[in-house]
Parts: sequence; C-alpha cells; structure tokens
Amino acid sequence: MVRYLITRLGQALVVVVIVTVIAFLILHLLPGGAARATLGKEATLEQLAAFNHDMGYDRPWIQQYGMYVQRLLHGDLGYSYQLNQSVVEAISQRLPKTMVLSLLSTLLAIVLAIPLGVIQAVRRNRWPDYAITSLSLLAYATPIFFMGLMMIILFSQVWPILPPEAPQGFTVAEVLADPAGLVLPTVTLAIVTIAVYSRYVRSAMVDNLNENYVRTARSKGLSERRVVLRHTLRNGLFPVIALLGMYLPALFSGALVVESLFNFPGMGQLFWQAALKRDFPILLGVTVIISIATVVGALVADLLYAAVDPRVRLRGSTS
Amino acid sequence: MSESTVRKPPAAVQPLLELRDLDTDIALRRGTVHALDGVSLEVMPGETLGVVGESGSGKTMTALSIMGLLPPGGRVSGGQILFEGRDLRSLPADEVRRIRGVRMGMVFQDPLTSLNPTMRIGVQVAEPLRVHEGVGKADARERTIEILRRVGMPRPDRIVDNYPHELSGGMRQRVAIAMALVCSPRLLIADEPTTALDVTTQRQILELIDDLREEFGMAVILVTHDLGVIAGRADRVAVMYAGRVVETAATATLFRTPRHRYTEALMEALPESAIRETGAHARLYSIPGLPPDLSRPLAGCRFAPRCRHVTDECRISDITLSAGEHQHACLHPVPTTPAAPVTLPAPVRVEPAPQPAGPTAGPDEPAATSVLSVRALVKNYAAHGRGLLRRTAGQVSAVAGVSFEVGPGETFGLVGESGCGKSTVGRLAVGLERPTAGQIMLDGTDLAGLAGRERRRMHRQVQLMFQDSYAAMNPRMRVDAILAEPLEIQKVGDGAARRARIATLLDQVGLSRRVLERYPHEFSGGQLQRIGLARSLALQPRLIVGDEPVSALDVSIQAQVLNLMRDLQRELGLAYVFISHDLSVVDYMADRIGVMYLGKLVEVGPARDVVRAARHPYTQALIDAVPSITPNAAAARDGITIRGELPSALNPPTGCRFRTRCPLAQEICATEPPLAGDGHQVACHFPLRPESSAAPARAGAVA
Repeated sequence: MVRYLITRLGQALVVVVIVTVIAFLILHLLPGGAARATLGKEATLEQLAAFNHDMGYDRPWIQQYGMYVQRLLHGDLGYSYQLNQSVVEAISQRLPKTMVLSLLSTLLAIVLAIPLGVIQAVRRNRWPDYAITSLSLLAYATPIFFMGLMMIILFSQVWPILPPEAPQGFTVAEVLADPAGLVLPTVTLAIVTIAVYSRYVRSAMVDNLNENYVRTARSKGLSERRVVLRHTLRNGLFPVIALLGMYLPALFSGALVVESLFNFPGMGQLFWQAALKRDFPILLGVTVIISIATVVGALVADLLYAAVDPRVRLRGSTS
Repeated sequence: MSESTVRKPPAAVQPLLELRDLDTDIALRRGTVHALDGVSLEVMPGETLGVVGESGSGKTMTALSIMGLLPPGGRVSGGQILFEGRDLRSLPADEVRRIRGVRMGMVFQDPLTSLNPTMRIGVQVAEPLRVHEGVGKADARERTIEILRRVGMPRPDRIVDNYPHELSGGMRQRVAIAMALVCSPRLLIADEPTTALDVTTQRQILELIDDLREEFGMAVILVTHDLGVIAGRADRVAVMYAGRVVETAATATLFRTPRHRYTEALMEALPESAIRETGAHARLYSIPGLPPDLSRPLAGCRFAPRCRHVTDECRISDITLSAGEHQHACLHPVPTTPAAPVTLPAPVRVEPAPQPAGPTAGPDEPAATSVLSVRALVKNYAAHGRGLLRRTAGQVSAVAGVSFEVGPGETFGLVGESGCGKSTVGRLAVGLERPTAGQIMLDGTDLAGLAGRERRRMHRQVQLMFQDSYAAMNPRMRVDAILAEPLEIQKVGDGAARRARIATLLDQVGLSRRVLERYPHEFSGGQLQRIGLARSLALQPRLIVGDEPVSALDVSIQAQVLNLMRDLQRELGLAYVFISHDLSVVDYMADRIGVMYLGKLVEVGPARDVVRAARHPYTQALIDAVPSITPNAAAARDGITIRGELPSALNPPTGCRFRTRCPLAQEICATEPPLAGDGHQVACHFPLRPESSAAPARAGAVA
C-alpha cells in the first residue's frame, strides 16, 4: 500500500512538473509580455527592458523556469503588481471560498444525481427515464452563463426570493453567514454536474442490473429495493467515484463563469480578472494550484475506488 | 450418485411442484418470443427431475419462470405454477418472494459472474437467513460457516470473509449452492450448474448436489444440455424442444427406449453413440437445419421440419403428450421393441470408417514425414505482482517440455482441463506466440529459423480455428471480406482468382453464395463455425489447429461441424490438431490423443488405447469424470476420482505435476517421470497397465 502510494505520488509529481512547464511556456511566450502589461502603455522601451532585466525576463527561458521552480519550492508563486500582493496571498484569500462553492455544489449534485440515475435505471425506457433524460440533456446543453442569468432573472427578478449576488464576505465564515446568497451560484454550478453524474449513474446501474449476480440476489427472494440498494448501487457507483477526481477541472471552469456572474470573490473570479489584465504571476499560480488539485483529486478518487472495490483493493496478506 | 433406480412415490404423495400448461412470452423489440408453450411438469418431493434440451428449447426459461426471474420483457402469460399445492401466480407478490427465498433455491450456470463481486461471501450466503428468517448477525455467520462446510469448502471460517474473486470457479459454485441451501429449501433448481466447469470439478459438484439432496430431503430440477449429466443423476427426465416438453420418462427408460424422434436423434448425434454403435470414426448423425423461430406462429410438431420420419400429418395436427408413465408427443414414435434400435431408416449414413488420407496412424513414423513436429516445447509467462509497479513475481509455466508429431492427414487430439496449456500449445504451433524454448517444425522446417517473408509463407501451411468464431471475426466486415483477407495478406492471386477461391471454399463448407454479403452477427453458431473453417481453409493449409472448435455448439450442430471437418480432412488430406476439454469429442475425432496436465503431456497414444486402456491415473480420472449416456457406465466407474483443485502454474509441483492430487502417489513421484513407451507413451512411475495390454474392456480397469 505504501509503495503504491509512493508510486502514485511520483506520477502525480511528474504531471505537475509537465503542467508547470506548459503553463510557463504559454504564458511567457505570449506577445505583449509581462512588462507591458505591468508598466502600461506609457512605459518607454528602456523602462520595459529594465523591468525585464530586473525580473530576469531577458534570460533564456530554461533559466527563467529554473528560477521559477526554485521559488515555487520555497512556496513563492511570485508577486502580482496589479493586485499589489503576493500570488500566494491572493490565492489563499480566495481558494477557501471557491472550495466552499465547489464542495457545496458537488455535494448537491451527488445527492441529487444518484437517486435520479437509480430511478432512471430501475424505470428505464419508461416515462420517468425519458423525462429525466430530456431534462439532463437540456441542462447539459445550456451554457452555464445562460443558466446563471436565467436563475437570476427567475429567482431574483420575476420571483424575488434570492439575492442575485453571491456573499461578499472576506472569510469563509462570513461567506457561510449568508446562505441565501450562496443558493443561486451553488445550484447553477450543480445543475450541469447533476446532468453528467446522473447519466453515469444510470448507465452503470443499467449495466449492473443486467448482471448475473443481480439475478442471483433476486433468486434469494430479496425485495427489489434491497436488490437495488444493497447489491447493485455499490457496484454502480464506481464510475462516479472515478469521475469525481476527473471532474475537478470542469468544476473549476464552471466556477470561473459562475463566480464572475454572481460576483463571488473566489479563484475563478481571480483567474478571470487576471486573464483580462494579463496578470501572469496570478495566471500561472492559479494554473499550478488547479493542476495540483486535479492530480490530487484523481489520486484520491483512485484510492477511494480501491477502498470500495475489493477487486482492486491492494492487500499484502491474502493472495 | 443417484443410480438408475426409479423411485416411485406412493400415489398419495402430492407433487412438490406442478407446472400446468405454462406459457411464457418474452417481448423483444423485433416481436414477442413465445419461449414456453403449454409446459406441464411434475416434481415429486425428494426426486431429481432432469430437464434437457438444446439452446432455445425453453429449459432455462422454465426454471426462470418458476423462480420469477424472467429477463426484462418476459412474463408468464398463462397456466399455473403449483408449489406445495398453491399457485404462485395467484399469491401476493411478497409471499411469493418469501417462498422463493426460503422454500426454493437456485444455482446458476456461470459461477464467475453470479456472485456479487463486492460483497463478502459470508454476507451473501447469510442474506436469505437475515432477510427471511430474521436471524441475528452472529447466528447467521455461524450457520453460514456450517453450510459452507457442508458444501465442502475448505476452511469455511476464513472463506466467509473472502470476496468471490479470491476463489476458483468450482469453489464459487460451491458458494452458490450454499447460498441456495442456507434456508433448507424443499426444491433446488440447478440451471447448467457445471457447464462452465471442468469435468473433474463437474463430477465433484454433481455429486455434491446428489449428496445434499438426500441430506436435505429436497427435490432437484437439474437443467442441462448435457444428456450425459442427466443420465447419471436424474430420476426422471423431461426433454424439451422449441418451448415444449416433447418427452418425459424415468431416466433409465428414456435412455434405453427413447420414443420421441427428437430424443432419438439427439442421442444419435452424440459422438459417444457413434463410437459405441459402429466403432470410432463412423459418421455422426446430424440433425439438419435449425430449431424454429419462436416469435412466429407454429403449427403441428415443432420438430417436423428436421425430422427423418415426418409425414404431412405431423405438420398440421397439434400433438399433445401421451398419457402414462412414459409420455411423448410424437405421431411416429420409435417402436418399443428393443430388438430393433439400430435398424434406422435410410437417411442415417453409417459409413465404414474411412482410412485417413495419410499413412495409417503411426506414432513412431519418422519425423521427416510429419506435418507438425513439436520438440521439448516450453512456454513461460512472466507473472506480475500486484500494484502499478507490476514487478515480475515469478514465472507461470504454461507449457513445460511438450513433444509430439502430427503426420499428414492425421488428427492429433490434445485434451486436458482449463489451465493445462493445451491452447498455448495451439497458439505456439501456429506461430501466434514465440516459445520460450524448444522446437516447432512445420514440414521439416524450423519455425524459429524463419523471419519476414519466409515466415509469412510458412503460415500458409498452418491455420487456426477458434471456439468462438463470432469473437474471432471483425463484426464490421462482411463475410466476403473476412474470407478474402487471408488471400490478400498472402498476396494470392488477383481479384477474380480470389473470388473463385472464395466460391470454392463456400462449397466446401456447405454454405450458399448468399452469405457473402452478410455480416457475422446474422449467422447462427454452427454457420459461424463453417465460415471460420472456410477462412482457415482459404490458404490451403496442410494443418488446422482447432481450439475447442465445437465446444460452444449444441449437440445437433456439433455433429454437423464434426462431420464437415471429417469430410474435408478426407478430401483435402488435412491434418488437425484438435484441442478440446471434451474427451468424447476428441475420442471421436482423433487418431492419436495427447493428454495434458499442468503444462505437461502425461500420456500420448492411439485414441482407442488412450481412452479405453488409459495408463496414466490422470487420464483415467478424466475418463471416469466424463458423464455418459450409456446405462451402467456409471457403475463401471469406481476407478480414480481426483479431489481438490488444479495447483497454480506459478509454482507447479516438482517431479510429476499430478502427484499432489494422485491417489497412487509415492515418494518417487517427486522425481519427474519421463514420457516412456513406444506407441502408447505415459509419463508415470506407476502406470495403470503395461503398454502391451490391448484394451479388453473399460470396466474394472483400475487395480
């Protein structure tokens, strides 16, 4: 088990390194560059050159990357001149809030998607299945910003029961203190996820309900409820677990839109604004953090998978 | 083992289960299949009823209808299912479920998939107790361990905490049986319980079911396609065809004097019958055609289109089962006078055994004339450890020093249980894999010395035929493309020449030209096997390696394919390596037989000698385990029964690899016995008989 973990962590590290290289290259080879973005249109060529020299931007990129990694290892993701704070500080202020949003929406999605998928599988090719399928496809096909706008129009204009803006609190505690404000962003972010997850649950459940072991379970005279919940559900949820890890990037890109739309001061909004202002240290920092989160997410999903499926469970004892 | 004694329950005894005019429909997208049409059966308490039939006969649907486990779209549309006097169709659903959970139990065909992979054995077995009898956790665990012990599980107290994938197929089937029996049911339905298992394991499981039936005093419905399994185990037999029961009688009666023409034909189609009646190599009787499509309305006897004795009357009148003990639904039944069972009407061709095209079966022929010569063949696979590192954890010894020769026009049968390495030998022989050590010579040329174009040309000489031809064909290729492909790869002829060659091939395997424009999924199993055979014949090979070529087919279709393989051998002078787990098929097909156990050839010799005067204890055990329809065959088998499981090929036993399961094993068996002898070789320190003994009889053979 320990060896498995070390191997997986090694693989994860390789992925993170590759991501930083790619992100670094893309951002630094872009025309315009950081100097112009930071110093503004009025800066002279000399000022630009001086800035680039000070920042080390005139050195070969491999050297720049080396410096970057060295700083990274010391927990230094750079300094944003536009926000006038260090990248680490900027991210650490916003990351927890994004995590709250993602976690809430994922929880909501799972809590709704599993029963929906199960209902579809049990009633497959009958009206509940068709209805949920249609709604899923509709949700899946709707752009998330449109979905968010519709939410705002419906629930804070036409029928004003919820605020159109996310909580503006500075800390997690302050954000959570305004639950009403969290409802619309969470639901918007969750809807697409529900559509995706429920499809996966449905198809996994349909596959499993046709398995021989389900027939065996029925032959024991078990109630249909027990057959579905005790025997089939667990096996049907494996794909969802795998999906959880892989879904993090999609969740973040959703957060990007939702946070901008509802003016929620999280990572998504940070990234969005940094992209508009070419704030390279922030962009790079967020990308690295997200990639690490994704790799860790996939790792956690694999370990979870191993924990619930005895066939992949790694044992040292029995052979 | 239940002998052929017919137990007649007193008339007062009520049947445990009675099916009355049961109709079952299955709604599919293409229409409704009438899977069962007026099926009536009785099962007495404590009796074993065998239900036998080919695929699509409705035997499994009968079992599933009783258990209420019909597939989606399936429903019982008419009739009654009377269990202990009460009609299950008219009882409330909850009560029926309870009856099915407690009073009945069912064991399914495939033990590998019929257990929940993520639930501990103990939890699965105990579930009916917990649900239906409200037994507490600790008690349930105890009773589970007890029932696992009774089905012969070693270390049941540890097995309860295992998961299904940690057990072998035979062990999983024992678990399935334990699960079905945990509430002590009155009726056990076993649907092909041993079809997925090896013969020696099959024997253990069938015996277990017999023992438990007596111990629990329950009735058993044994559903199978295998007449041999039924013959040895059932008290009464019901033969099904196309959704109907066509004949039912006490087992001994049925096998001695079958009345329905379908039953008769089915028995004749068995290779075993051909060997018994006329000696080896007689032509098998094969039932022409295919069973009817049950989604269409059918009139008259459903077997009529395939029957030798059909008259116009059979096609019109609806035929019901006759009355009495021995019931049959046939207008022209087999006469009961036992004097004339062999005088069959014209269509049966009992031809004299054709001489093989090549030199007559000579195992000690000089190697120069061999089509295939395998010497000291070794194949090891690296075994990987768990986890992503997958470091090499040792070697699996799949083939360990196998040598044999196959002469021109000869059939060499390779027989053994799963995991013995017979398929690996086949793949090595056709060059699909490279041996770890040893020599493979085709027509005197060493395969190892060839490369590139020469190697490719050599491949023309030897072709492979698969068990599952459907899986071995690209589903998106039409048959014409499938048959042309080998010719294209080997750059044989131009388009016109290839088309001509394909036409010849179709003629040879007895298919019409119309099949060329169709796709693999449009064909039945037997037709696919013909197409597979045509493909392997495309390059005019001298040798075809058939890996279980008829194992997936029904008896009547199997006979067609075996006859075809025989005919082609005679016409084209083909040599076969015929790989099969089924000793009776190999016995029928092969001139010489090699018996493999755990990577080694333990016995090689002329087919008749190997089967009728086996010298190796393993061969004898294998022979004894094969179920036979011959009455009294069971009585002759007091010979060798092997217990236990095949050892792992990862660390095979030293010396004789069979010694860990051999009843005759002594200390000397720790040293490896050489394959010794002239014509009939054996690798055993204690051969059952000397080589010269020319096989007088099979009974009482073992000292």
